[in-house]
Amino acid sequence: MTSKNMWFLGRFMHRHRGVSQLSSFFSSTSCAAEGAVAPPVDSSVTAEQAVRLWAQHFTLHGISEPLLSSQYIIAHVLGHKTFDGVDRRQLKDPLTDTQRVSVWKLCTKRLTSMPVQYVIEEWDFRDLTLKMKPPVFIPRPETEELVGLVLENLRLIRGESYGTDLRCLELGCGSGAISLSLLHNIPQLRVFALDQSQAAVCLTMENANRLGLQDRLEVQQLDVMGDSDALLSKCGPVHFLVSNPPYLLTQEMQSLQTEIVRFEDHAALDGGLDGLSVIRSILVLASKLLIESGRVYLEVAQCHPPVIRQMIEETMPGLLYLETRCDLTNRPRFCIIQRRA
Amino acid sequence: MSSLLLRILHGFGPPLHRQLFKWPFVLAAGKKDLIDLPVLNEEDLEEQFVRGSGPGGQATNKTSNCVVLKHLPTGIVVKCHQTRSVNSNRKLARDILREKLEVEYKGEESELLRRQRESIQKKQDKRRKVNENIEKKRRFKETLNTGGGDFSIKSQEP
Repeated sequence: MTSKNMWFLGRFMHRHRGVSQLSSFFSSTSCAAEGAVAPPVDSSVTAEQAVRLWAQHFTLHGISEPLLSSQYIIAHVLGHKTFDGVDRRQLKDPLTDTQRVSVWKLCTKRLTSMPVQYVIEEWDFRDLTLKMKPPVFIPRPETEELVGLVLENLRLIRGESYGTDLRCLELGCGSGAISLSLLHNIPQLRVFALDQSQAAVCLTMENANRLGLQDRLEVQQLDVMGDSDALLSKCGPVHFLVSNPPYLLTQEMQSLQTEIVRFEDHAALDGGLDGLSVIRSILVLASKLLIESGRVYLEVAQCHPPVIRQMIEETMPGLLYLETRCDLTNRPRFCIIQRRA
Repeated sequence: MSSLLLRILHGFGPPLHRQLFKWPFVLAAGKKDLIDLPVLNEEDLEEQFVRGSGPGGQATNKTSNCVVLKHLPTGIVVKCHQTRSVNSNRKLARDILREKLEVEYKGEESELLRRQRESIQKKQDKRRKVNENIEKKRRFKETLNTGGGDFSIKSQEP
């Protein structure tokens, strides 16, 4: 144990002198994070105490976002999305035996650096709550903005009600976040969604069924880098393409958080040396799959927009680079591209 | 609750509406009869997300999505962490801010405050009725036990 850990423990004990769990708690924390032992629970504990106890334990074992992790997990066990949703009085109530067992089981998973979204097996994406399962890629907040951008752009082109008969293709659907959000917002939309991972295809379908959106969605296991003719024959012309393709540069893959490296599908992240290998394939497909003037909406790495623009101008005469948009942290993040008429 | 008591509560400590109600109040799902809420100007707003300094995008998996929204002209700050979606929290923060601005601008004339007081009153009336019913039943039971009236059971009288 480092001297920092010792200091932390000392402070913890000072604040909570008299709680019987502590002495055994103290002796169990000499383990490395890998084989970390959970704090023992032989007596009653309130929701509030559980949050504090686990936040301290996560901190000791170098787990990122220790307090947030603890709060999300306990809120979930109590039936809420966030800690803010838990009634202040309920926090002071002792956890039931079932709740305590559940909290301990889930928090122990978090000790392995499993992302919170996989621990509680769900997460929110815009208006929807989606099931999450490793190793299917967890939707990021930036992608919520991609959906917002697509909706706004479609309203601009097709009017406030999105016009009639709209078809789209999503490449690399993962948990189904993008497709399902669009289906939820646009009643007349039909989506063809692909992923090269069978796990992702299954999870997207599961989420679609849970949300009652399965009738307007077709999901298939297909590799966008693979047989494009197969894809072309299965999916007719569409009004637009949308994708959050793997866009990390191979060198970036080296320095990722433990949560990501250990639990998420690397194939959903790695875009090759320049991060553009999948994006390139998508753009090649775009000219063949889009109706005239149809658009491509992409989420990309912040270094990509100018490179993509140049690539299109120099090597893809069928496409027109329209616009780059930034995300909420002001990083260039989204590309809008059009098939020339 | 008398209006005097309400005024006292309103005067001391945090405002009544902040303590007792879940925000947004009117804009929450299921509430009909929308009232006139002030329109928000994005230029008047300062927004903060706890996103950290990481690379962002696919390279980051952080779960901090609390939104803090400040209305510069009035100084009112809304903090929202009701959902696990940044996008939803941003929308809710704006709904809550619009409602708080309505109270701020209208003061005692606030339609929102009026509806909240109505809601308190309804809940109190309901509770009073429930208690009255419990009391009635308790008295009735007592009548049975003390053997009063024709309701008592006189067993096996010779």
